[in-house]
Amino acid sequence: MLEIDDLLFRYPGQPAETTGWRFKVSIQEGECVALTGPSGCGKSTLLNLVAGFLTPAGGDIRWQGQSLGPLPPWERPVTTVFQEQNLFDHLTVAENIGLGLHPGLGLSKTQWSQIKAALEGVNLGGFGNRKAENLSGGQRQRVAVVRALLRPQPILLLDEPMTGLDDENRAILQGQLQQARHQGKTLVLVSHDSRDRQALADREVTDFYHAW
Amino acid sequence: MPAIIRPAPPFSHRNWQLAPGLVFSGLILLLMGSGLLALILRTESGPAELWQSPYLQGVIRFTAWQATLSVLGSLLIAVPVARALVRNPGFPGRSALLRLMELSLVMPTIVAVSGLVAVYGRNGWLADAAEWAGGSLPWNLYGITGILLAHIFFNAPLAARVMVQTLERIPVNQRRAASQLGLGSWQLWRVLDWPALRPVLPGLAALVFSLCFTSFAIVVTLGGGPGATTIEVAIYQALRFEFDFNRAALLACVQLLICGGLWWLVFRGNRHQTVLPDQSSSADTASPRADSAGWRRITDRVLIGLFTLFLALPVLAIALRGIPWLAGELANPRLALWGATLRSLAIALPAGFLAVAITLTLLAATNVLKPGLPRSLASVSGYLPLIVPPIVLGTGLFLLIQPRLGIQGYGLLVVSLINSLMALPFTLQVLRGPFQASGTSTLRVADQLDIRGWYRWRWLQWPRLKRPTALALGYGITLSMGDFGVIALFGSPAQPTLPMLLHQQLGSYQVAAATGTACWLLVIIAAIFILLSRPGRLPHRTPATHTGVTQTGVPHA
Repeated sequence: MLEIDDLLFRYPGQPAETTGWRFKVSIQEGECVALTGPSGCGKSTLLNLVAGFLTPAGGDIRWQGQSLGPLPPWERPVTTVFQEQNLFDHLTVAENIGLGLHPGLGLSKTQWSQIKAALEGVNLGGFGNRKAENLSGGQRQRVAVVRALLRPQPILLLDEPMTGLDDENRAILQGQLQQARHQGKTLVLVSHDSRDRQALADREVTDFYHAW
Repeated sequence: MPAIIRPAPPFSHRNWQLAPGLVFSGLILLLMGSGLLALILRTESGPAELWQSPYLQGVIRFTAWQATLSVLGSLLIAVPVARALVRNPGFPGRSALLRLMELSLVMPTIVAVSGLVAVYGRNGWLADAAEWAGGSLPWNLYGITGILLAHIFFNAPLAARVMVQTLERIPVNQRRAASQLGLGSWQLWRVLDWPALRPVLPGLAALVFSLCFTSFAIVVTLGGGPGATTIEVAIYQALRFEFDFNRAALLACVQLLICGGLWWLVFRGNRHQTVLPDQSSSADTASPRADSAGWRRITDRVLIGLFTLFLALPVLAIALRGIPWLAGELANPRLALWGATLRSLAIALPAGFLAVAITLTLLAATNVLKPGLPRSLASVSGYLPLIVPPIVLGTGLFLLIQPRLGIQGYGLLVVSLINSLMALPFTLQVLRGPFQASGTSTLRVADQLDIRGWYRWRWLQWPRLKRPTALALGYGITLSMGDFGVIALFGSPAQPTLPMLLHQQLGSYQVAAATGTACWLLVIIAAIFILLSRPGRLPHRTPATHTGVTQTGVPHA
């Protein structure tokens, strides 16, 4: 279970009287939960807290009963897919995915062919040697999700991953994410589009944030 | 089991990014501090000489006077030239002219002086033309005229380049709105140009002022005599010829106070903006200005043409007079030029590499540090050489190590070191942007994927920094190749570097040999830049070779 337990946060550099957030939500393993609420309610902030990009002022995040608080981003069991800029533009598609498997690209032959096969699975066969900067927005998001699925980390944090994409890309991405669920990954989805939420989420949570 | 355990990437500990930069910035501060301390301790008789000696007062007054005139001249030329260039984005040869304007960043001052002498001097092109027309030159290049001419030759293009860049950064929509309203030249100046230039001008004026205030090679070649001596030259004369350390220290302190005070004023008001041109250029040519039509079209072209001539003539003179001399002498193995070339390279190559290394470590350290005193120190130490002129630093170190100067090669090492520090503001300017180019989300992705330490450098930073690093290295090496101030202090006339040799030849009126040496120095500098721009082209070749995909994005069957 992923437990967000009275996690307190306020953006630094703001006066003390500004209201911050208190987050509280529990997510079962293998579940896909959509966080919904008006813009500015703290959806992305919560995902960034879980990933360790932001430091909470109090409270705890636990995965399978163990606190993630002291862990740096690279030791947390999560992979984030942002709305954009998930890829390193100057590297090839295959390298972008490979970096998710080993941060220095020390990959085995098997792993490289695994990447190749995964790309074929999302209609990007033969794109491996292309520079990421030459891809369309939808293609880039597909590559980002391929990378997320190949990583062993059990939690996917999806921060508007399909925003701004056309229907075809959206369908492919939804298929990929369904596949992630079959692999047993736990998904936390932030999307303002109700179609995505309906297609993917087991349940929607609206009361995860409180004023602090 | 929450964490996926994997060995940490090599060199990923924070200290690997922090320590080298902190060590270097500490060393820089120590070096500057001990140099200044040595100076201050040396002024034993106190500053009384300052208001007792009419000579010193004359020197200080002349230094400030010529610098002020140079600033006015440079800016007054730069503003109309910059506006003319912005008005005419489609002007043929415009980008070549912009390149030519950047040349002043890398052209050694002493080379420019020899070019100016070859055009405006007593035996120069203009004198020939005047004689042919039956007259004689109405000016004498030696003295304030030549100093001003050389300072404007260097600083007007620099200022104009920065202004063009600033004007091109005016938001496109504002420019389009102005275009639609059909604003005339005066209104455009009031509405668009002046508001854009105003924040840049104080920093630009301060930069030009301090460059001219501390100018050495130009003044020592074209000036001289009690009527046209600047502080830098007076320091040099006091140290090298009169062995009057007290006077040198006193003058160095005055110079430091004035330059430091000036920069403090500029930085304090936080009115500084980029005062060095960067590599960006605007592609917007879509909004023609109402003041670019009619008779202005002609005056603009005349202005740009004259400015181009002003910049190009000295370079042409060096090339046309220097190449024949070089061709005649190339086979001469006992030419002083070869030894000087080796000495110059021996100083400049290490200086360039050291400057780039220090720059990268300083940037890495400032990237890791949170805002605070250590971070400010690390980022300021790279810009200190702009405030503490090299000759002041050199003077301090000269006084510190003067007893040991007899040791062979020791002086050259110090010169190389000071040269690398002098290059820091420039290499920092080139590398800072690319080093910090990654956005927050990219950094977050990299963190999450554990691409840290060596891996981050190898896969994320180095590919983007290759080209700028080569460019910075080029700047570092060429600045040191062209240095005449520090080497004049530490070098020996019997074993000259290229700029020293050039100065000796200019001083003994060997004009042909001087233009030959100047030409040779320019050839070497050009070769360095061409050589260093090569690795940057390699990555462009790779995508075509192995994509296996057509341009439409359809995979091959």
